[in-house]
Amino acid sequence: MNESHPRQRAQLIAVFGILLFCLGGCVTSRVEDARENVTGLGEGEAVVIMAKSYHQGNETESDYVSCIENALGRGSKGLRVIPRQQFVDSLFPWFEPRTAPAETKGLTKLMGRPGVAQIVEDLGVRYIVWLDGDTETVAQGGSLSCAAGPGGGGCFGFAWWQKDADYEASVWDLEGYESAGTVTADFSGTSFLPALVIPIPLIARTQAAACKGLAQQLKAFIIQ
Amino acid sequence: MHCNYSGSALESGQFIGTLRGRKALIYKSPQTRRADFTHLIATIRATLPVCLLVVGLAGCSANVTMDEPTIPAPRVAKIPVKVALRIPEEFEHFVHEENVLGKESWTIDLGRANATFFTQLFGHLFDGLTIIGPGDDARDFQFDALIEPTIDGFEFSVPNQSKTEAFAVWIRYRFRIFDREGNNASNWTVSAYGKSRKQGLRGSDSLRRAAVLAMRDAAALIILQMDKATSISKLAGGALAEPSVRAARMAADTDVNSAQDDSEDDFGVFAIGGIDDE
Repeated sequence: MNESHPRQRAQLIAVFGILLFCLGGCVTSRVEDARENVTGLGEGEAVVIMAKSYHQGNETESDYVSCIENALGRGSKGLRVIPRQQFVDSLFPWFEPRTAPAETKGLTKLMGRPGVAQIVEDLGVRYIVWLDGDTETVAQGGSLSCAAGPGGGGCFGFAWWQKDADYEASVWDLEGYESAGTVTADFSGTSFLPALVIPIPLIARTQAAACKGLAQQLKAFIIQ
Repeated sequence: MHCNYSGSALESGQFIGTLRGRKALIYKSPQTRRADFTHLIATIRATLPVCLLVVGLAGCSANVTMDEPTIPAPRVAKIPVKVALRIPEEFEHFVHEENVLGKESWTIDLGRANATFFTQLFGHLFDGLTIIGPGDDARDFQFDALIEPTIDGFEFSVPNQSKTEAFAVWIRYRFRIFDREGNNASNWTVSAYGKSRKQGLRGSDSLRRAAVLAMRDAAALIILQMDKATSISKLAGGALAEPSVRAARMAADTDVNSAQDDSEDDFGVFAIGGIDDE
């Protein structure tokens, strides 16, 4: 068997991968924070990432919340993150979508309820980060058609779509029952799908980029 | 002979694989292998349209079966009342179907989810809980108050209907509360809502999640508003009045006509962003 075939194939895959990477949909980003109070995380202190209530019209995706949780907890300077479901269940029914406080002024009353402050202390939760926003397709165009039959199939055309990921993270400090500030992330990415028999997806990973960007800024914001 | 083979070719005409679960060396000539390959292609061509049809038809309807929910122990003081909970027959197997006109049909099977939900919830909420079956005579049990929950309404929307990326579930529960003598003490409705973004190709998990969120939403409302809305704790002190004709009927007939109970004291509660339970 000719040995050059696997090498050629590997080269072809590598070239194709680099091409995809270079041509992959582009993403533009803007991440900002607005600090209201001094922050910092002591030994054993943790953060909880929550999505704002859908009762208030928020549509933050649960996988985005999980992505932020994972990104914050990862790395050598990873924060201690309490899984939100554990937090919500531990404090049932005070952090359900309907009953969770909408503003920091509700925190004092909430922490005064029997057992709540104790559980928060036991879990070591110092900050609650409320995520608001979502990723949505804001524009799309082009035309792509595919056909398949017993003899084979293929696609022809070109399609594109633009996704905007706009998120805001409000950081509540449970030590002083006050807002520590907000971090916002606005990402926009355009994906392309040209097809000449085989479709070649050039996908802009807008939400993933927004997750990484927001998590980095949040980490920096909390630990200063 | 059924021959299930997988493995790697050794040399032309030979193939090592599994035969009825056992490793075996099977000899196949190149001609036989070509014939097998042709036969395989012919089979795929013949079955492909049928497979596509089956996949297409399957795409027109979806069945979602609910797992039994788990309601965490609430961080509130128990209401000092011993209650009896009459589980209606519909709670043992509740199925709801929603048709998106001309597009798809969704069926959600709640199974015993409601029975489990109320058993857990009231177990956490009250000092004592006795479960009464739909055919049981309430007079055979000791309690301060009898609660009869029913489902007044159940609806859900799928992304195709709402033109959003979310599944939403609405549940409207009705609670009829009787004192130990069978007098009607309260009639209370709770409207709950759950919403979950579509994930995956079909979104079945999202619908299931939305239903669980709606039940938790109902649980939160019940925990925080039950006593305020129904004054059920007052029933611990004794019956409201002497046994009435209705009491006898309540014991004998569990399927009380709801139209008769839609009285003035029927009210709902709706609050968002922190509940003021003072």
